[in-house]
Amino acid sequence: MTQDKKTRINFSDWFLRRPESGIVLILILFVAFATCVNPSFLSYKNVINILRASGFTLISVVGMALILITGGLDLAIGSVYALGALISGIAMTSWNLPIPVAILLGLIVGLICGTLNGVMVVKAEIPPMIATLGMQYIARGAVSVLTKGVPIYPLPDAFINLEPTKLFGAVPIVIPFSILIAVIGHLILSSTVFGRSVYAIGGNQDAARISGINIARSKMIVYIVMSVLAALAGILMSSRLGSAEPSTGTGLEMKVICAAVIGGISVSGGLGTMLGASLGALFMEALTNSLTVMRISVYWQNIVFGVVLVLSVLLDQYKRQLIRRRSTREPAAEKHEHEKS
Amino acid sequence: MNTKNREDRNMKQAVLCVRNVVKRFPGTIALRGVSFDLQEREILALVGENGAGKSTLMKILSGIYPYRDYEGSILLGETECHFSSPAASEAAGIAMIYQELNLELDLTVAENIVLGHYPKTKTGRIDWQKVRADASAMLYEVGLNLNVDMTVRNLSPSMQQLVSIARALYRKPKVLILDEPTSVLTEREADNLMQIIRTLRDKGISCIYISHKLDEIFALCDRTVVFRDGIKISEFSKQDGYDSARVIEDMIGRRLVSMYPERRVQMGEEVLRAEHFQVPHPFSYGKNIVEDVSFTLHKGEILGLAGLVGAGRSELVSAIFGAMPKKCGKLYLDGKPVEITNPEQAIACGLGFLSEDRKKNGFVWSMNIRENMTLVTLRTLVRKVFIDRKKESRLADSYFRKLQVKAPGTETPITSLSGGNQQKVILAKWLMSDIKILMLDEPTRGIDVGTKAEIYKLMQELTDGGISIMMISSEMPELLAMCDRIEVLGKGVIQAEFSRGEADEIRLLQAASCT
Repeated sequence: MTQDKKTRINFSDWFLRRPESGIVLILILFVAFATCVNPSFLSYKNVINILRASGFTLISVVGMALILITGGLDLAIGSVYALGALISGIAMTSWNLPIPVAILLGLIVGLICGTLNGVMVVKAEIPPMIATLGMQYIARGAVSVLTKGVPIYPLPDAFINLEPTKLFGAVPIVIPFSILIAVIGHLILSSTVFGRSVYAIGGNQDAARISGINIARSKMIVYIVMSVLAALAGILMSSRLGSAEPSTGTGLEMKVICAAVIGGISVSGGLGTMLGASLGALFMEALTNSLTVMRISVYWQNIVFGVVLVLSVLLDQYKRQLIRRRSTREPAAEKHEHEKS
Repeated sequence: MNTKNREDRNMKQAVLCVRNVVKRFPGTIALRGVSFDLQEREILALVGENGAGKSTLMKILSGIYPYRDYEGSILLGETECHFSSPAASEAAGIAMIYQELNLELDLTVAENIVLGHYPKTKTGRIDWQKVRADASAMLYEVGLNLNVDMTVRNLSPSMQQLVSIARALYRKPKVLILDEPTSVLTEREADNLMQIIRTLRDKGISCIYISHKLDEIFALCDRTVVFRDGIKISEFSKQDGYDSARVIEDMIGRRLVSMYPERRVQMGEEVLRAEHFQVPHPFSYGKNIVEDVSFTLHKGEILGLAGLVGAGRSELVSAIFGAMPKKCGKLYLDGKPVEITNPEQAIACGLGFLSEDRKKNGFVWSMNIRENMTLVTLRTLVRKVFIDRKKESRLADSYFRKLQVKAPGTETPITSLSGGNQQKVILAKWLMSDIKILMLDEPTRGIDVGTKAEIYKLMQELTDGGISIMMISSEMPELLAMCDRIEVLGKGVIQAEFSRGEADEIRLLQAASCT
């Protein structure tokens, strides 16, 4: 075997084995392209802008990655995002609660929504899509009832100054914060028993059950984590906007699912990594950013997103096809060997 | 077989001829040149052990494996058939009744019967009056007096079975294929069904009847063809009289030579006792697949569970392991009562369970060998919060070598392994954990001979180490060679118990088929 052939095999190995290989390729190509079109794309200021914007998506993507890998789905996150922000906003302004308590209250609302999602999916065995669609309407409805469509405004200055805080005077706090959450998510997913259960449930729930994995508990946890993170992202966003908007977070679920899928998370479960999903979130914002800089209208941007989503899934399917072709070839070769020996 | 038979065949006209059919799968050949005829007004039985090729042949006849997917030819009357899909086979006049009913449970009886062939009015709308009339006529054919507007879900399994036959008849078939039609029926219902099949034959419909229940076949079928390992071994006709021993002999065929380790038995005290297990049928509501089963298992013993497909062996073991709900039944471990309602508790009690269907609930396809191996034991590999990856790899590696898994390494995806090696990985998963009792459901199904022998050797080593094993198998030689005791299940109860040396294949099969 020549050296050349060996490296090629290693590359294809990497491409097939690593779920984030697709997004890494896409991201590299895209950054190269965007920098060619617009040399200031990689400027310090622009990169910080992109990272700051991706931070909000990233927080939700961490939860969505967990859910999707178990083979589940959460469509309620956009509404929970708004409801969490709203409750903590009301707590700060109308109830005059201290800011940390108000934030905690918003997170508790997230926890309740997540628990309800979990109960519907795990105990009542309602398909995740329907259960969380219901929760989407319920939470959004609660937002409308509470605000009657009027934003909670103004929020206390101390809270509004939270998001723009800069670490080392240069990096907006949301960047290290969201990265921290992603890193924790990565460690949980890749290196804990719970993380391994998440993969096992998505890969083969029946096999996971027989192997003694508590499926109900694991699923419950991922739905709760998701909603708490969504509420957290919503609260952070309200700090950035300076008000709790009733319409905020509309369509967030699709953006987050899109980011996760582009990042190599399989919607049918069992495959994907936190790194891939995080890069997916980054890519979504980088794409928005560069399209905006290129003065392409928002309407066209949606078309680009749609195309990218479909292409990334195509790439994923192509990968699976290659894996399958390999797996049907190898046993035959092995059997042959067996016969010879 | 003899001259008289041959004359018969010439006199009657063949409705369906199967000529030299060969079907290959990657790695194996399921059918190695099969030929047989089905004559007019005849009920033909196909018998054979699991994996003999009956199902494959039926899938070819019903168009599931389309033309060109197999070699050889199929003639329906005079014309050669090139089915491209199940619909094409149906249109040509072959109707199939599957073992698992495939009715639309939420549609009415009438709709189910005419499904896909709705009579239309001139304006192109469905002619509901004719739908009902046609459906009633078909139900009359099968001797079922039923309101055609009832939802199929509300019918009993036997009624559903008859509805699916009515549905097949509506397509005016020349050939009716029934695959294990009585597996969900009671004895009386089965008798009724057989009477209906006889009536259909007399009306000119030829039937192929597949069943493991030899008593039924001998009572019903005009001719019996025996399959083994993808070839037709022999055929018997009713006129000559059936000899159950000879049919069984032909079904089982050759003996496997020296695949088995010498069994050294050091039976200890009782480790597990199951009392009065009753398990509901997974598919048909209100019926039990296991009616009342009690047994004991001793330390270092291999206990075999024999029986036909659908006898409830897998369900019994699944219920013990908590993977399936049970209606009632008490379990004692080392004499102490335990309550197991889910696999997590079973594992905590020291039970391991190698399931029948590797793909369905054996391995996690998206994981590699290492991850699949440590699925059960992962909790013991945690240092502080995180999994100790080095320890995990070392453990997986040691079992990888011990069981001689043939793969590049423990990081290889499990889907790229052959069935035998996948089985070894799943076995490793249980061996790693601290088990006292290992339940093996068809541990050697679809596995090549070499790996089989390795698994038998491993079983011997495990029992030497004081582990008790329960083994379900449909391969009689395997049960006879490996087990210290064999319980034969049939009709939801234990039909017979044999200790080592008492049983032979014929006695086992007779007990299992309740003849």
